[in-house]
This record gives sequence, C-alpha cells and structure tokens, in this order.
Amino acid sequence: MLHKASLCLFSFFVLLGSQLAAAQSCNLVLRGKILHLENDDAIEAAYVWILETRTGAVSDQNGNFVIRELCPGTYTVTVQYLGHKEIRQTVNLTGNSTAQTFRMEEESLDLGGVEVHGHREPVQTTTAVTSLYGDAILQTRGSSLGESLKQVAGVTSFSTGNTISKPVIHGMHSNRIMILNNGIRLEGQQWGAEHAPEIDPFLADEITVIKGAETVRFGPEAMGGVILVNPPALPTSKNSTTEFHLIGATNSYMGNVSASHMGGSDKIKGLGYRVQGSAKRAGNVKSPNYYQANTGMSEYNFSGSVGYSSKKLGVETYYSFFNTEIGILRDSHTGNLSDLIDIINNGEPFLKPDFTYEINNPKQDVTHHLAKLKSHYHFNPNWKLNFQYGFQFNNRQEYDKRRGELNAKPSLDLDLYTNTVDLFLDHNLKANWTGSFGLNVIQQANSNVPGTGVTPLIPNYDMFNGGIYALEKYLKGPLELEGGLRFDYRTVSAARYVGEDLQTADLDYQSFSAFVGGLYQLSPYFAFTSNLGTAWRPPNVNELFSQGLHHGAAAVEIGDPNLVPEKSLKWVNGLEFEHNKAIVEITAYANQINNYIYLNPTGETFTSLRGTFNVYEYLQADAFFYGFDLSGSYNFTNRASGYLKGSIIRAKNTDEDNYFPFIPSDRMDWGVSFSLGKKENLDSDRITLSNVLVARQKREPDFDLAPAPPGYALFNFGYQKKLELGKNNFNIGVQVTNILNTEYKEYMNRFRYFTADMGRNILLKLNYQF
Amino acid sequence: MKNFQKLPIYLFAALTFGFASCESEDPVPENEGELITDVTLIFQEIDAGGNPVGTPFTASAVDPEGIEIGSSPTIEPITLAKGKSYKMTINAFNNIENEDITAEIFEEADEHQFFFLGTAFSSNILGIEYDDPGSIILGIRTILNVSASPTSNNGQMQVVLRHDLDKSFPGATNPNFANFVQAGGETDLDITFPVVIND
Repeated sequence: MLHKASLCLFSFFVLLGSQLAAAQSCNLVLRGKILHLENDDAIEAAYVWILETRTGAVSDQNGNFVIRELCPGTYTVTVQYLGHKEIRQTVNLTGNSTAQTFRMEEESLDLGGVEVHGHREPVQTTTAVTSLYGDAILQTRGSSLGESLKQVAGVTSFSTGNTISKPVIHGMHSNRIMILNNGIRLEGQQWGAEHAPEIDPFLADEITVIKGAETVRFGPEAMGGVILVNPPALPTSKNSTTEFHLIGATNSYMGNVSASHMGGSDKIKGLGYRVQGSAKRAGNVKSPNYYQANTGMSEYNFSGSVGYSSKKLGVETYYSFFNTEIGILRDSHTGNLSDLIDIINNGEPFLKPDFTYEINNPKQDVTHHLAKLKSHYHFNPNWKLNFQYGFQFNNRQEYDKRRGELNAKPSLDLDLYTNTVDLFLDHNLKANWTGSFGLNVIQQANSNVPGTGVTPLIPNYDMFNGGIYALEKYLKGPLELEGGLRFDYRTVSAARYVGEDLQTADLDYQSFSAFVGGLYQLSPYFAFTSNLGTAWRPPNVNELFSQGLHHGAAAVEIGDPNLVPEKSLKWVNGLEFEHNKAIVEITAYANQINNYIYLNPTGETFTSLRGTFNVYEYLQADAFFYGFDLSGSYNFTNRASGYLKGSIIRAKNTDEDNYFPFIPSDRMDWGVSFSLGKKENLDSDRITLSNVLVARQKREPDFDLAPAPPGYALFNFGYQKKLELGKNNFNIGVQVTNILNTEYKEYMNRFRYFTADMGRNILLKLNYQF
Repeated sequence: MKNFQKLPIYLFAALTFGFASCESEDPVPENEGELITDVTLIFQEIDAGGNPVGTPFTASAVDPEGIEIGSSPTIEPITLAKGKSYKMTINAFNNIENEDITAEIFEEADEHQFFFLGTAFSSNILGIEYDDPGSIILGIRTILNVSASPTSNNGQMQVVLRHDLDKSFPGATNPNFANFVQAGGETDLDITFPVVIND
C-alpha cells in the first residue's frame, strides 16, 4: 500500500516537473506571513497589494498570504492593516518563487478604539496543520471536543458511549497526543480510555490540529500530534463583543447554552478582558430502537482572562473551570466475564428504560481548574522573551454501583496537581532566520483520596520533567526549512498500599528528540511539506503500576514497572493544491515506534468468588503505523460546491505480526453544498447534504471480545442562515445527523460491545453576536 | 507601569506557592469495604412439618485475597441425603474488614437476588424455593428438596448473586431462572459448589 502510494506521489512529481518546465515564465508566487512587529503574532486580514500588477491578497488566520501568477521582475509591494504603519517594499522576483515575512509596526495615534488586533500565536511549523474556525467551528457547537475534531481528515475519535469521546490523530490518542488549553498542556488523567479531555469547546474560537511528532516544541507525549484549543485574542482597545449560543437537540433532549463577552479598557490602552461560560444538560441517548440506560450528562464551564499589551510588554492571566457529570451505560458495568459474554451475545443492552435526565451510578464526576500567567517582553524587534506558568488541579471521581453507604462513595477518587513553567527566547534575525530557545518544566503530584473502599488502580506519585530545546527556521525564496533539538529528563516516584503492604518505586527516564522539516512552493498552486521528527514517551503510571479490576471490561489489568520508554520516528508529508475552484490536501505519513506499550490479553482467566475475569498485561513491541489523509473541495458553480475528506490508517505489531486493537477503520465523508442567498451575499443561506462512509475494520487483533462491527453509511443534513441585524449577526443552524435512523456500531466506540450508536438527531443552533 | 518591575518577584512568589502545594499525599491502606471473602451455606435438615432435624452443617467458599490475583477460591462440596429437605441459609462475610455482608444484602433486598443454577437442578437432583422472611424474594434463605431417586449422585450448584436487577422481570421469581442477565444488573457472586448425594 505504501509502495503504491509513494509510486503515486512520485509520478505526480514527475508530472509536475514536466509541467513546470513547459510552463510559461509568469507562474511565480509571492507568499509570506504578516506578523505584529511587537510580538510576532499573526495578523489576520491584512491587505497585501502589488502596485504594478494590481493584484493582491488578504492574510489568513495564521497571517499567511499567497499571490500567484507573477512574472519575473521587480515589484512594489504594500502591506496595509488598520492601526499599523503601511509597509512599502520593493521585491525582486527572479526565477524562483519568493517567501517574505512582513512585520507591521503599530501606529501610536489614537484611532478611536476601532482597531482590535490579533494576538494569536501562529503555528510556525512545517508539518501538516489543520485549523477549525469561523463557520466550521460554528457547525461543531454543541459537540464535545472529541466529536468536533472529526471534521479534520485524519482525526477520529475513541469513545466510550456517546458522551465520552477522545480525539485520535493518525491512530494515536490518550498519552500519545497532547491537548493545549490556551497554550497550557492539559493534564487530567488522560491515560484512561474513558477519560475525555477536560475542556469546554465553547472557549475556543479556533482549534488547530498538528499531525506531526512535535515533541521538540511541546515535550514528551506529543508523539502522534498536538491539538491547540485557543480562545480569541484579547481586545487591546475599548471595543466590546458579546456572543450567545443556544442549542437544542432532539436526541437525549440536549440543551446547551453559552455566553461570552470581551472588551477593552478606554483608560488604559492595551488592557482587555474576556469572560465566557457554558452549561450543557442531556438525558438518555437514544439508539434507533431503544434508550441507552443511564447515559445522561451535565456540564458547567467557565473561563476568564485579563491581559495587557504594550509595545514591549505583554501580560495575560487566564483561568478556566470545567465540571462534568457523566452517566455510564448501566449494562456496560458487568460483574464478571460471563455477564460480559451474555451481553455481547445479546448485541444490545438488557435494560431499555424510558427517557430520563437522571444520572445514577455508574457515573463520573470530573472537575478541572486551570490557571495561567503568560508574559512576554521585547528587548528589541529581534529578541523576545516569553514566560508562561500554568497551574492545574484535576479531581476525578468514578462511582460504581455498590452496596450500602459505599454506593455514595466513589470507587476511584484522584487529585492531580500539575505545575508547568515555560521560558523561551524567540528571535528573528534579518528576514531569514527565526527560532526559539527554551526550557520547560512539568511537575505533577497525584494522590488517591482515601475512603474509596477499593485498592487504588494507580498509586500516588510525584513526577518531575525538565526539558531544554532549540528550534530554528530558515526562510528563503520558495523554501522554508526548520529543525530542532530537545533533551528531557523525568523522574517518577510512586507509592501505594496493596492491602497492608507499602509498595514504592523510584524511576527515571531521559531522552533526546529532534526534528527537521521543510516547505517548498513547487509551483504557483502546489506547496509541498515534509517533516521528520523523533519523539519519545516514558511509560505512564497506569502502564507501570496498574493492578486490579477494570469494571467495565471485566478485566484484571497488570502493569509492569520495568517498561522502557517508547521511541518513535514520524515522517509526515503534505501536498497542497489550490487553484480557482479547487483545494486539495494530501497527507501521507509513516510512524515507526519502538517499544510501543499496549494492553495484551494473556488468554488466561482469573477466578474469584465474583466469577471469572480476563487477565490483561502491559507489553511492549515494535509498531509501524502509516496512512493517508485526503481532503478537498471543488466549486462547481458559484452556488454549488462539493467536498471530500477521507483517511486510511494501517497499524501493525511488527514483532508479533498482528494488529493492535482500536485502530480506526477506513472512512470517508463527502457532501455537496448549495448557496441559496442573494447574489451579493451568496453564503447567507446554505444547505449541505453529506454522507459518511465507514468500512469494517478488517485488521482485527488476535483477541477481541467481539468481532469488529460491519461498515456503515450515514446521511446528514445541514442548513445555515446568516442574518445581519444592523451591526449584529444572527446565525441559525439546523442539523440532522443520521437522517435515516440507521442502526450501526462504530469500531472505535468501546461500548459497541453493548449497544448500537446514537440514532437520528435533529439540532437547532442559534447564535447571536453583537 | 512601574508595578511591572516587581513582576518577577510576584512570579517567583506564585511559583513557590504553586510548587509547595504540589506534593502527593502519603498513601494510606484502603479498607476493601465491598469485598466478599467467605460465603458459607448453612444446611438444616427439616421434616415434613418444617421442624429442624439434627444439627446444621455447612459448606463454604473462601477466597482470602478477594479479587487480588494469586490464589483461587477454596470451595467445599455440599453433601446431602436422598429424599430429604433442607433449609439453606447463605452467609456472606468480608474477612479482611471483619464485616457481615449478609446484613447489607438483606437491607437492600429490593436490589439483590440469588439465583441457583447448575446440573444439580437441571438433572432432577435438587429442587429449590425461596423462603426468605417476610416472603420477599431474595434467596438468603431457601428450601432445598433432594429427589428420592436422583438421576445421579453427583452434580453442581451454581450460586449467583445479582445486584441492581429488575426484580419484576418476567420469570425472575423462579430461583432457577437461567436468563437472569436479561433482568439487568451485575453479578456480585458466582460460585459453583460440587454437590454429592448420599443414600
């Protein structure tokens, strides 16, 4: 498969090359980035204009712009952005296409509070990146983070029922990817398959997925990729924005409200604030033919931020609070193996109650606090020092159905404190060299809250991780090159009682990681990126020390304190094509992981008075992952367009020559859209009809409790209307998912053993911005 | 603006505070509150009028480590006599915490029920009926009738305790209800005792 694909890509390049040779000379490209001089943050919607050709472009969210079809010659380029000094520069285009970074200086004159400039950190990487923002993110409102990210080709979800969903990037999830909440790596108990990320998707106005190994930039564990959840930039002048969301759904009778408000100070220039909150309540999820017992959930979130920025100094404080209570499908908690086999053979739950909002045991109750202080200082236009401190407290309580007073007590009650410190120095030298040197520290303390009446699944532990790194990027003509190196050291000190025995362990790990990457503008319409990165991940505490019964799975899981770190090498290649009507993005990757840690069924069973259980142990083997993501869109007319997204992943245990469990099967999502709006505003009314096709996972592990479910096809419908009421925006969205109420099971849903997935759901989404 | 010059001091103070509050607690031994380590079946022979005959005897299943990996439970055989009737009482005990679980089960009789399966019932060796105080259907107390002409003098009795089931599920009033899983809930106990029938 891989060979075929590389052959494919190869012939593609040959074709391209011959085209290039034959092409006329007027196919040069001027591409580049527009940044704030004071802090290197991207400027969106800056205007780049070439006087001689009378052509121009507007910079995107990341500050990038492209002007195509230029003949060789000397041009005068102007860059304009409100509240900033105009840049006028002569650019000499020769045989090569050219990349140029423009840094705009803020004008000191008072513009009466009109300008709101972006403080978004551009993701400066040559690896495959996809962002959700604007309309795309509006459509995902009401979904959890894991579900929202399914919009991105190559990202799927690993879920436990329909309320717990974890993002999967190129087949990796949990401790093999990293999620950043406004720049701070989210530290909950993310090792657990049923532990969803503790983050409110409403706080984000942009979610970015980096699909490469980004250990150097972000630290160990960013092996499969990184997800950046970013709130909007704080205003720096008096200009307030308020936004409301109101969402209702017919399935599970879900209601979701969110409000946010941001503004700036009139008196102190550069002082801005933002507050945001959301609440969500849902009852039993309905599969096409029955309600899933005890699958309600509630969620309350809040976040707030205050920031100040001046020419040299920027300071930002941020706090977010997340709380959720999630009911777990009653029948998924089985007493022993024969219970489990009985329900799997039944194919659906035994209990089929009526609808209720009530949440009983088994359930989860999770609270997450995150506070952050961030500051930067410009020594001069070329050097900038950044400091960021994050504090997180995560409490996770899991309740099982138990006897007597114990039923009111959690069976798992964990307090996790995390401190993170990032200190880094950014530089840009001439126009060509940019880079960063930094260090970061993570310190973590995990404690079991006594009184659960259960021997803890994982011990109490203290973890310390220190890392130093350097990154450098070189930009010249159509070429962008980057590389980086990092060293990490980690210690883990764990202790717990099993019965009356005190067990302790002190472990330490260290490793280098490195990456090189490049971007090359092949032709006016083609850009090629390639990134090769090593990554490592020390074994997680659950993999080292788990010992005990995993309720839902009727399994006894045994950790191994002698596990060694995983080490990986990931190569990601991307090809982007953009022409008038078409956009195509292809990503191909290969990831070799040595000492990949996985939970292996031993084939043995364990008998107790409670019955029989399967025994699983943590093992290590070499793994090879590879795959492709494809996404593209085409405008047939100015009213009709189509899109297609798909992904293929292959993952193999190369030691045992068999397959790993829970690797996403091949899937594709395609659809057509029609704009119904008036000529001057076509997209004000838009309908979309889409179809999701998911194949059966034919590459199953040697042992699974049930065979992979058959493939399925779902049809979805969407309608979006935008109304402008004066300066205010009112968006109305109607979405119907699973129109035909198809009964299906998703391989990546752990509850496929017990129940069919969610049936038809009709959502009404109202959004008001003023 | 001048305040910002003190920023490093504030930062340092905040950091020190953050890190100091961030040591893990010392672990403490956890009481395994829910564990059942000993299950004892107490048999009292009764006559036709329900009056006790002779002294009671027991058969027990013991798993000192509970759910920990290691040893398998020790299960004693049940020895009964042909054509006799017995009152059987089940006693569940947590030996680690020295806690009587039977009382807890009895208190939550609406959420619990014992079922009795295995060849001892399917091959016409034993018959069983619920005999709990107050006519509740629970199974802590039952009446066992040994066939006068059993098909075999060896069999198995599987004792299953279900928790959080729908007790009004059709068929669930039968102590031999084989499809108990359909009534929902989960298994708290599942022990198979060998049964020996003497003449």
